[in-house]
Amino acid sequence: MAERPNPQKGSPGTGERTRSIVAITVSVAALLVVVIGLVSTPSAPATLDQRVDSLAASIKCPFCNGESLAESASGVAADYRALIAERIESGATDEEIRSEFAANFGEAFILDSSGGPWSIALWVLPIAVLIAGVVTILSLRRSGATSGQDERSPTTIAEQEVGRT
Amino acid sequence: MIATLGSLSILAALGSAMWIVGAALRHRTTGDAASLRTPVAMLGVSAFTAFVLLETAILTHDFSIAYVADNTALSTPTLFLFAAAWAALEGSIVLWGLMLALFTVLVWRRLGDRDPLGVAALGVMGAVTIFWFGLMATVGNPFAVCTEVVGGVCQAASAWPLADAVAPVDGLGPNPLLQNHILMAVHPPMLYIGYVGLTVPFAFAIAALMRRDVGRSWLDRSHRWTLVAWMFLTFGIVLGGWWSYEVLGWGGYWAWDPVENAAFLPWLTATAFLHSAVVQRRRGMLQAWNFLLVIATFSLTILGTFLTRSGVIASVHAFTQSSIGPILLTFLGIVVVGSLGLFAWRARDVSQAPRLDALSSREGYILANNLLLTVFTFAVLFGTMYPLIVESFSGDEVAVGRPFYDRAAVPLSLLLVLFMGFGAVAPWRVATREVMWRRLRFPMAAGSVAAAIVVLLGVSSLGVIIAIGLAAFVIVAIVERLVTVVRARPEGVIAAMRTVVGNDAGYWGGQLAHVGVALMAISLATTSGLAIRESVTIDQGQTAVVGSYCLRYVEPFAFSEPNREVSGVTVEVLDRSCSDVLKELGPRINAYPGTSQPIGTPSVWTGLIDDVYLGIAGGNATSVQLNVFIFPLQWLLWVGGLVVVAGAALALLGKPSRRTRASDGRASVAHAGRTDVDVPSTELRGTDG
Repeated sequence: MAERPNPQKGSPGTGERTRSIVAITVSVAALLVVVIGLVSTPSAPATLDQRVDSLAASIKCPFCNGESLAESASGVAADYRALIAERIESGATDEEIRSEFAANFGEAFILDSSGGPWSIALWVLPIAVLIAGVVTILSLRRSGATSGQDERSPTTIAEQEVGRT
Repeated sequence: MIATLGSLSILAALGSAMWIVGAALRHRTTGDAASLRTPVAMLGVSAFTAFVLLETAILTHDFSIAYVADNTALSTPTLFLFAAAWAALEGSIVLWGLMLALFTVLVWRRLGDRDPLGVAALGVMGAVTIFWFGLMATVGNPFAVCTEVVGGVCQAASAWPLADAVAPVDGLGPNPLLQNHILMAVHPPMLYIGYVGLTVPFAFAIAALMRRDVGRSWLDRSHRWTLVAWMFLTFGIVLGGWWSYEVLGWGGYWAWDPVENAAFLPWLTATAFLHSAVVQRRRGMLQAWNFLLVIATFSLTILGTFLTRSGVIASVHAFTQSSIGPILLTFLGIVVVGSLGLFAWRARDVSQAPRLDALSSREGYILANNLLLTVFTFAVLFGTMYPLIVESFSGDEVAVGRPFYDRAAVPLSLLLVLFMGFGAVAPWRVATREVMWRRLRFPMAAGSVAAAIVVLLGVSSLGVIIAIGLAAFVIVAIVERLVTVVRARPEGVIAAMRTVVGNDAGYWGGQLAHVGVALMAISLATTSGLAIRESVTIDQGQTAVVGSYCLRYVEPFAFSEPNREVSGVTVEVLDRSCSDVLKELGPRINAYPGTSQPIGTPSVWTGLIDDVYLGIAGGNATSVQLNVFIFPLQWLLWVGGLVVVAGAALALLGKPSRRTRASDGRASVAHAGRTDVDVPSTELRGTDG
């Protein structure tokens, strides 16, 4: 590893600074490539197959034991996928196709839970857990501590000394 | 004969489990391990006997036993006969009981001579064992005999072999899906070892709470046993994904199916515990949290069993639906209410946690990992339970599927991978900005370069770019850490590596597992973000191009096997220009007698980069319709999974294999001293786990 800190140099010297500058430069250049690459690639409109796939994945296959239309290898599922493709080609939107299935089979066959009065609870509960967890972790901090930079108790200074390679 | 002996062995196991509980109660203060020798040995022998008798009945086609008649047939190949022992509910509880007995014996073998905590834990395990063998002895007797045969099918059974048994001429055979691939013989036992193994840490937690012995000992022992169970659970889940991929034919390995979720939920909380236990061992924090995680993990295994074995949730896995649902639900209620009640009662004994010195520290990043895993657990749990909850409140039938889970899992998983990189290099207590920057700047640059290379290769899927960037970041951070620590030592590279890893196998095993997770993350992203799925119809002798491959339909084939009729097509995979043959594939359809729906079996070619995956969708005399999937880097998922398992094995090997002392103080001191031995002073506490 070219960036290995030299154990002989305890304090940040010119070598350290060079390594930091190289790391930053390389990272920024590489991320620029990523951004430029992403911006310059025209986002192709979803192909028919892709649209059929994503729709089929969000609709439960009737008579298939809980699999979606995309997952089931059964003939029924293949027929419904063909039906979806037909509806897409005749110009129906994803939402229209989904509601057609919902009207025919019932809401229970729509796997995408983005709608419905109850579905909000699905997201509220995990997010509530996330917030409660963040608050708990923050409250676990020793009083007076605000960030890693402010730790100056004797033990932590010793830790930092040995932590410095 | 076998039915009688089998039922007796189940009763013997039940009696032994009761004896274990009684002996544990009697010797609770002395902790005399020897007093448990006889009942533990009896439990092991009788559970093993029950399993062997079940296998014997199956292998000798004793169709007077209802389970054998319902789940096997004369034509079933031997391997799948053997695996039929866990193909349905009653048999799978026998395997479950055998695993539980095995763990009881193993735990007993590691007891100290005077070990009150260990004896109490065995008592708890005995109580759990009573439940499972009680289930077998009452509503789920695998040795129930067939008393009435109508139309060659066993119509009525008597739970106890007192009635006159009648036997149909042939059995029904296993579910076709369960006799379609060799993995079915391996994947469920691995999962069961993991699932059942999670009883052990639970037993130690409950024993510690009951004895008010809430110090280090229960934690050290639970940590180790969780690692054992977790390793098998991980292996079982990965094998299950592989089975799904190779057998189900929809071109995927994970469907957020309730049964998959049932295995994944305790895996999530057990993973959280493996991390948070380290925080308690090193920093004394999270004592209460660790109890809760262990209790939650065990409860989730029971909940998972209830969800999948009671038939409340329709699922491709719910091969067995029975009346034991209410019993499992009652047991779950007792476990949850009982353990949480006990925890609340003993809450004051669980000591006040020391505080976090800094958010940026090893323990801080592990806390972040625990938080993310907890949120993940809740998301999957609510997703799985949501249809049940809504239906019971409103009567509406709703479904939660892949879209919800993916939306929740992708960001959580990416964040988990990111924190893996931070946690790997952060020192305990305080990780200053300078230290973190010095240790992460090179991984950061490497991750950015990896992302840039992916973009230059023409990938525009943001998920894939981020996943590969983060995975490179994590892997490079870990490798750089290892190189730094190894180079700081005077001896040669190999010797230094052995010393470094040997001195802290727990930490380096964990890092190896993280490398495996990073590899899996790459594959998860590429196989979902860059997969090609197409349905093509090819005439015989003609070709079709899919992605960068050309497919030629050569000819159809058909043949008979004892247990099924096979028909399929030979298809050549060629390069894009249709000139060089790379591989010949044979996707097929297997028809099993007695079942209406034939089972499609895909055919997969794993190349250097892509998997080419073919399934038959239909066809006629001259053409075939194929479902064609191309999954980039699919193999990395299986390799990554094995690396994770290897990491767990490494961590296990490094821990003390001698008996844990009954007076746990000494064992704890030994632990604390071990980790820092021989680590150069510059690295002391800076790196180790």
